[in-house]
Amino acid sequence: MKTAIVVVAMLALAAPAFAHHSFAMYDHTKTVTLKGEVTKFQWTNPHGYLEIDVKQKDGTTKHYSLEMTSINMMTRLGWRSNMIKGGDLVVCTIAPLLNGEPAGLLLDVTLPDGRKLEPGVPAVNTFKRTPPEE
Amino acid sequence: MKAISAAALVSGLAAMLGVSAIAQPPTAHPDFSGSYERYGNIFGQPTPAQLADKTIPPRNPPAPLKPGPMKEYQDRLAAIREADRKGTPLASGYVSCLGDGMPMMMNAMFPIEFLITKNQVTVIEEAFTQVRRILLDRPQKNIDDVEPGFYGHAVGHWEGDTLVADTIGIKEDIRYQNVPHTKDLRIKERIHLVAPNILWDEITMEDPAVLEKPWTVTVAYKKMPDYTLLEYICEDNREYKDANGVQQIHVGDTGRK
Repeated sequence: MKTAIVVVAMLALAAPAFAHHSFAMYDHTKTVTLKGEVTKFQWTNPHGYLEIDVKQKDGTTKHYSLEMTSINMMTRLGWRSNMIKGGDLVVCTIAPLLNGEPAGLLLDVTLPDGRKLEPGVPAVNTFKRTPPEE
Repeated sequence: MKAISAAALVSGLAAMLGVSAIAQPPTAHPDFSGSYERYGNIFGQPTPAQLADKTIPPRNPPAPLKPGPMKEYQDRLAAIREADRKGTPLASGYVSCLGDGMPMMMNAMFPIEFLITKNQVTVIEEAFTQVRRILLDRPQKNIDDVEPGFYGHAVGHWEGDTLVADTIGIKEDIRYQNVPHTKDLRIKERIHLVAPNILWDEITMEDPAVLEKPWTVTVAYKKMPDYTLLEYICEDNREYKDANGVQQIHVGDTGRK
């Protein structure tokens, strides 16, 4: 839990973040909770990405690409590139892509050890959180 | 006895002592080299504490645009708002991995570094690794002799504690907060410390064809004593601008590590 506390504390201290890119293509009216296995945590600019496979009720697997923020912002918030690894089972809260494609903006991710990390999405409070679907 | 200059004497002593670098005489201007972050932004109504804090610049005035450019500007803002409302945002230059250019880079969305040297002040903004050079004590060129670019041609000099810069040659589509300008835009800056760790850049834009009068905005920065700017390479840009100018995104793993 130590890292989670650090990240949240740093977020609270950070100045309001500005955005280079618009996040208007993501749904601001609802969130989706995804439980999946990480296939890659991509540490790149302009944004990082978390790639995950999510098992569907029919037994098939659906791949999701989850956009994060600039790795420079994430670094200043306490993130490091080795915090998530391929094979990790994670729970992600995302704002889904409005066009329905399997992608979203990652608002937070809970790691196997219970740590909950936020990538520092600017104006994150404009995304309405909705309860996870069972 | 032959006169020996102080500089020669010090140099000789340094050589005898094997000292390769010796302290330079104090400069007439402050060396505010270092990393900074944007500071003192006011969102919504300023609080009494913000109003009382003299290191926080006052809210910037709107651009005093002439009627024609004002309509273009307002139409653009309305189009951006409407596109965002529909979930089809208009693509900015960032979507194509383009840096801000001048003077927007001085808004320092990411940390910014000032490097003060004898003949040049170099400014680096972390996002998109933007660099501009302010050449000191040089004559400015004629605008028609400067090829338009993102950062233009900048010269500067010291007026006491203040670095005064003059920049020309900015591409017309490189805009400060969507405000239009012509090729004749001239950017005058006064950069100075207002507290030991707070720097201000007072940026005045002059462009008589579009502005009723010069427009001054002030940006404040706070020193980041222990921060070294990070690299920023637009390595895997999945977002792109479609034929309608709308920001889109490629979905799926691109294979980058």
